[in-house]
Amino acid sequence: MIADGQAATGSVAAPIPAAFEPRIVGFLCNWCSYAGADKAGSAQVPYPPNVHIIRTMCTGRIDPQFILQAFENGADGVVVLACHPGDCHYKEQNYRAMQRHRMLLRVLEPFGVEAARCRFDFVSAAEGDKFARIMGEMADVLRRKGPRRAGAPADGLPTASVG
Amino acid sequence: MTGVYMCTCGTNISQRVSVDGVREAVERMPGTHCFRSGEFLCAESGAAWMADDIAKSGADRVVVAACSVRDHEETFRRVTAAAGRNPYLMQMVNIREHVAWVTEDQAQATAKAAAYVRAAMARVALHQELAREEIDASADAVVIGAGPAGLKAALGLAEAGRTVTLVERSPVIGGLPVLYEEIAPNLECGPCLLEPMLADVLHGPFSERLELLTMSEVTGVVGSYGNFTVTIRQAPRYVSPTLCMGCGECVAPCPVSVPGTFPGGLGGRKAIDFAFQGGLPNVPSIDPAACVRLSEGQACEACVTACPVEGAIVFDDVAQTHERRVGAILVATGASLYDCSHMPGLGHGRVPGVLTSLEFERMASSNGPTGATIVDGFGRAPARVGIVHCVGSLDPNHREYCSGVCCQNAFKYNQIVAHKLPGTEVVHLYKGICVPGKEEFRLYEQARKSETTTMVPFADISEVRVESRADGRPTLSLATTGGARSWDCDLVILCPAVVPSEGTKRVAALLELATDRHGFIEELHGRVDSARSKVRGVYAAGMCQAPMDIQKSVNQAMAATGYILSGLVSGRTITVEPVTAEVDAARCSACRTCLSVCPYSAITFDATADAASVNRVLCEGCGTCVAACPSAAIEGHHFTNAQIAAEIAEVLR
Repeated sequence: MIADGQAATGSVAAPIPAAFEPRIVGFLCNWCSYAGADKAGSAQVPYPPNVHIIRTMCTGRIDPQFILQAFENGADGVVVLACHPGDCHYKEQNYRAMQRHRMLLRVLEPFGVEAARCRFDFVSAAEGDKFARIMGEMADVLRRKGPRRAGAPADGLPTASVG
Repeated sequence: MTGVYMCTCGTNISQRVSVDGVREAVERMPGTHCFRSGEFLCAESGAAWMADDIAKSGADRVVVAACSVRDHEETFRRVTAAAGRNPYLMQMVNIREHVAWVTEDQAQATAKAAAYVRAAMARVALHQELAREEIDASADAVVIGAGPAGLKAALGLAEAGRTVTLVERSPVIGGLPVLYEEIAPNLECGPCLLEPMLADVLHGPFSERLELLTMSEVTGVVGSYGNFTVTIRQAPRYVSPTLCMGCGECVAPCPVSVPGTFPGGLGGRKAIDFAFQGGLPNVPSIDPAACVRLSEGQACEACVTACPVEGAIVFDDVAQTHERRVGAILVATGASLYDCSHMPGLGHGRVPGVLTSLEFERMASSNGPTGATIVDGFGRAPARVGIVHCVGSLDPNHREYCSGVCCQNAFKYNQIVAHKLPGTEVVHLYKGICVPGKEEFRLYEQARKSETTTMVPFADISEVRVESRADGRPTLSLATTGGARSWDCDLVILCPAVVPSEGTKRVAALLELATDRHGFIEELHGRVDSARSKVRGVYAAGMCQAPMDIQKSVNQAMAATGYILSGLVSGRTITVEPVTAEVDAARCSACRTCLSVCPYSAITFDATADAASVNRVLCEGCGTCVAACPSAAIEGHHFTNAQIAAEIAEVLR
């Protein structure tokens, strides 16, 4: 049960498991969207279990390469959640994240990752329901699409060494 | 060794997440580790047990699987520190809000919690020891601008024992309201209202700690919060403020008259003159461009001959440069009025008897050019006065915002006219009426009930025109789709939008302060932090931040004073958080991308090193520059690329 990740890093033609539960990485900022996820928790609003949250202080910190790394490591989908426009704790860095996301979408498709697998949205600290809804919607989209085919061209993504 | 501490939070976590399941996952991880669980690790007893256990177990890195980092990250950092470990070698994962409370199936919840714990173990292995740094800081301040906000703040700081340098560009203090005869909404006398503050600044009980530099401008600022060095240039006054006794004997004999230059200046001044009668400090100044001795080298000595004090007039006075080391800077540089030349149809400067609000304030002032006599463009008492509100305000073609103070001033003018010239008709043309507050409505009510007052709305300022009629006096007209109306007036007062002053623009540029799209100094947060700029240690108060009345200005000044007093205490250091960005100069390609994305002006370019450099006092640790750097030359401490990559890889393994 713990090693549930092993199925998704298999061969090129891995068949869709009978009960496919997509794996989603959520990149959240500390101030709004992470707090929104906390709100979903304190209100006990359930959402799909394979959502894995990575917290940064700000969505401005989210290097597009993190998203590529998530796909490379077997994520079926990625969700980036920022503060609403005008609400960024760091003033305007959510706009930077939004700009980067648009650029990234142009790169993802040619490498075999459909744009629908990568969603950008805004969640405030009060929007626990919205957080759970976005994760539910993303899981639905990904269930219909099936697993991202590991070994497909996307694994040749130019994830240059960083740091 | 990594110590993993799982909190069951009573049964909040353990009812969904199996402690044994998480333990098994930890045990399957490579490297050495130990696993512990406890019931309430955040409680005093739990924290004490944990600190003791970390110390005894020999764990050098710690993972805490518990609740939200927003609740208890600081708690567990303290626990880690209490165990003798660097607090930043602890990573916390949230298996309560993000797992137990949102995952119904126990097996799925356990698997998810295990993945989070594994990811944290992989991440914490890459953590670096970090430390908060304490740096020495000055508790003193420079206040720029001696209007109501700057005066209030300077006095508050000096009263608290701080040394304050108050920098004022003009020869007198008091800002705009000191020029007003009466202040809305209660028609108090402007100089009287400000007099106690002016007197305290000049010779009050705390004035020995309060240095006033008039005719001065800040020309350079280096350093950051706690340690600014501010350079101030003081223009020569040519009159000694210590010797001059303010008798004014020098003014009348001066042979040179020039147009008035002071805000709202009607009439003129001599080459040596006071900014206005009663202005403080009560010392005249010489305009070197007007003075025939200073500008043309003529042998004129008219003022010296008239002056009863030897040496009070100093022709060889020179500009001085002052340097002050302070911890904080308060910008209170104020506002000015929207230039009416943008709306030539309103006749300002073209039609006699068309004044701006500030010009009318001076006309209504007993120390103004007409000695408080209200006259039209030909020196006669007006029979009808037009007042145009919203001149450039609430207007997408000019200034989109409501300036907020013009309506109460416009209704004040109505009262002044009614009081001085009973029976005079007053016509108000307005786009919107804005008089919020528990006192401000009175002036509006009086105008509304007045039989001699007419109020007419317009949809757009382009519908309003002011033209000279045959006798030269202004006719105010309104052309709407429903028809045209006009009023033969004698005096027309335009109430232009409040805009940032030139001084505000200059100081904002000098201090690299972000400004909003209207040019006002952008606040850190519009609701809860409007007295702080986006640069740490630089505060803003009054009209330089937004249009506002005197009440709000001085309140904001005291808010800024509070920030300075609580943030900087003499003899105490300031704490610099370690979660900041740092540039590796060797990898920096000098593209300066990072400078453009930092909202805090925390990054500068060091030409000597040919690399960007982050000021860690100013850095807030958002990490945007780290992600933006195309050379991967910036490290985001505690959120490094390697740490995040390890977390991603392990959570998905």
